[in-house]
Amino acid sequence: MPNVTEGCVADAATGVRLATRSDESDLRELTSLAVQGDRTAIESLLGQLRPMVVRYCRARLGRVSGQYHIADDVAQEVCIAVLSALPRYRDMGRPFASFVFGIASHKVADALRSSVRSAVPTQDLPDGPDEGPGPEETVVRYIEAQHARDLLARLPDTQRELLILRVVSGLSAEETGNVLGMTPGAVRVAQHRALARLRQLAELESIA
Amino acid sequence: MTMKRRRTAGLPGSYGDADMEGDVTRTDALLDALARREALSGTDAALRLLGALVADVDSQRLSSVSITPST
Repeated sequence: MPNVTEGCVADAATGVRLATRSDESDLRELTSLAVQGDRTAIESLLGQLRPMVVRYCRARLGRVSGQYHIADDVAQEVCIAVLSALPRYRDMGRPFASFVFGIASHKVADALRSSVRSAVPTQDLPDGPDEGPGPEETVVRYIEAQHARDLLARLPDTQRELLILRVVSGLSAEETGNVLGMTPGAVRVAQHRALARLRQLAELESIA
Repeated sequence: MTMKRRRTAGLPGSYGDADMEGDVTRTDALLDALARREALSGTDAALRLLGALVADVDSQRLSSVSITPST
């Protein structure tokens, strides 16, 4: 069984960066080592992919009782599924990220279908002052984020996936294309149309 | 008469005209900036909502996991 330890993606600067071509080649090499069972490579690979998976699950599933526990649990399931599938993974020319987000997409769909809304544990009381935003700012941000999710849910599946992978998970147009089976050019056109549709939906709601 | 430059119509990745190509490039740059968590100025409702979603997703410390294989 894998060991499970506490982690954090709150520091967005360390978790989000767009991949370059050399990153992709490094990731391919890392994946190859991980498939062969290299423990350091497995840890490093999951360390790179996990923040993107968590963001994807959080964006798709949202909060329950103000917390991301369910989304984070699904992200954990994705990571465990990836870890379990690693020995059977064969490089067919597509980036490893497309394999990972394929699993993530299915896990999120399963979670949405079951829509389990079980009791959610509260966070531990902090030892020191909360350095985060105040209650008013938190509520405004929460409402806007939920509004974004509601409007994204009204987009066609591909457009929604595309915007979430591209913006929230922080994949490049090339990586997003690899996940969705599109060329980078098609991604750029589709994301432009998706953003226009999202804008249109937001404007229609503001008028109504 | 205005001549518009056209690529193959109807194919994914094709542009209707030069304006569209410029808009597509601008959108790509804006989404890149959002993906890098850069603050965007302006009043675009769609970008503001996506920015709020990104901020919300990044705001909460993870109570979940990093995974390493057992020894």
